[in-house]
Amino acid sequence: MTDVFIVKWLFALSPILMVLVLMIFNNWSGSRAGAAGWFVSLIMATFFFGAHLELIAYSQMKGVLLSLNVLYIIWAALLLYHVVNETGAIRAIGIGIQRFSGDKSIQILIFGWIFASFLQGVAGYGVPIAVVAPLLVALGFSPVVSVAVPAIGHSWSVTFGSMGASFQALMAVSGLESSYLAPWSAVLLGIATFLCGIFAVYVYGGWKMVNHSLRAILIIGTVMAGTQYLLSVSGMWTLGGFGASLAGLCSGLAVAKLKVYNQAPSSQAQPQMGLWWALTAYLILIVIVSAGVMIPSVKAFLGQVKLSFTFPEIISLKGWVIKAGKGKAINIFGHGGALLLYSSIISFFVYRSKGFYEPRALKTILQKTVKSGVPTSLGIVSMVCFAMIMDHCQMIYILAEGISRVFGSIYPLVAPWIGLLGAFMTGSNTNSNVVFGVLQQETAHLAGLSAALILAAQTTGGALGSMITPAKILVGCSTVGLAGKEGPVLKTTLRYGLVITGIIGIITALASLVI
Amino acid sequence: MGNFFEKHRAKLNASALVFILVIPFFLYAAAIHGAIFQVKLFLALMIGTMLFVLTKG
Repeated sequence: MTDVFIVKWLFALSPILMVLVLMIFNNWSGSRAGAAGWFVSLIMATFFFGAHLELIAYSQMKGVLLSLNVLYIIWAALLLYHVVNETGAIRAIGIGIQRFSGDKSIQILIFGWIFASFLQGVAGYGVPIAVVAPLLVALGFSPVVSVAVPAIGHSWSVTFGSMGASFQALMAVSGLESSYLAPWSAVLLGIATFLCGIFAVYVYGGWKMVNHSLRAILIIGTVMAGTQYLLSVSGMWTLGGFGASLAGLCSGLAVAKLKVYNQAPSSQAQPQMGLWWALTAYLILIVIVSAGVMIPSVKAFLGQVKLSFTFPEIISLKGWVIKAGKGKAINIFGHGGALLLYSSIISFFVYRSKGFYEPRALKTILQKTVKSGVPTSLGIVSMVCFAMIMDHCQMIYILAEGISRVFGSIYPLVAPWIGLLGAFMTGSNTNSNVVFGVLQQETAHLAGLSAALILAAQTTGGALGSMITPAKILVGCSTVGLAGKEGPVLKTTLRYGLVITGIIGIITALASLVI
Repeated sequence: MGNFFEKHRAKLNASALVFILVIPFFLYAAAIHGAIFQVKLFLALMIGTMLFVLTKG
């Protein structure tokens, strides 16, 4: 009987294993590996787990509805980023920050920890490393440190960054509300905030530098972790990463004025626009998201049109039952993606009226958005669709049952490692949550653990996985002349990524003892 | 043939994305009305699109 279960478990694992092997050992893109995983799950589901035509048809529809919820945010976030970046505002923000202090540890913290997280809050998908690494090289840091520091520093903000796309994915696949998932996610990610700051500084200057900057890390970390917690538990999780890093930016600039850190800046570069103009798009975003989330009448008005589909009860040929019900609804005008879209459009017209754009800027913005959005989207849709096939054929349940049998009560120690592995293999926290979210939820259920805590550990591990994701490291290295020499950077980020994930695992295990 | 795919890679990938996002709606409609032939047809289209993503995506 055990042997049979092990074989079933290995069959259920095969699609995930396929994606893992193709991405890690064959350097396949997320989209190609996702498609391969889709085929393996289709074959396994059909031949071993009792899938039939209707089951596959409904699972694909549910997969697309989940994907659209995530893609709405991703495309709108990319559009906003390119609307802003095309004006030169991102560079202007960087130069504006640089003027505040010549202290190396403060520069590391402001650029590699806070500004990188800010970029994660508004864009993500490798942008923080790609933008910050050249800025750090320009400030005199070595290329390896310049890529490793933002890679480590921004990881804590990934889940609630990119307008909460990863958190949205977690809610979508688990079917749980933000009010249930957000508190523990914000707590674990809050702890990761401090750890990411400490190790970002440690990479450059060791414990001596950490000691020098400890006061700054504690002040800024408290502001960022606290802001992220308040925003996410109050329902404004789309602004969790962005708002936290913006608050961190303000506190960081204030901390830079403390006597111990207040050294003259080394560079006198002039930005092509003022800091306030550069931040205008994000101020517009704050106003729109706040109105859309916090003013009941606006929220009700925007929430009138929802795309929703009803699904009948589905029974696999092996007797696994998926209850009838509605699939994930898409709030067309009140969705986080819609709010981002409004912000992008208004920001574009504001910047254009002030003459910040070159001629034909709109075409460039749209081309860049499509170029960066299509590969990411293909990866997400293919992975969500194969995750749905697995979910509808009991494959995820069997995986979860196997893990809970092996690890039992010490499962919380393992949970963040699964998230980390998912991010490493799929290239993003969002994909990790999609692939492993239901698995973690089922395992928590079987082991009698809090799903909120285990899913928080999942998404925290997934966020930390961003620092070791090969695709993001490749992007960062290509911007500082390290193309083809990514090994030292990955070795550095891997070391600290594993340490931080280990600490989060221990904290999750301790927390599971008291809740 | 290889040159064609390389030259139009971005457009083909965008088209594949649109197909992958749209075909399941037809699959759903066919399944909900019990039209097995249409389910098979759209599933074949989905498989073809995924095959394209797998090989050229």
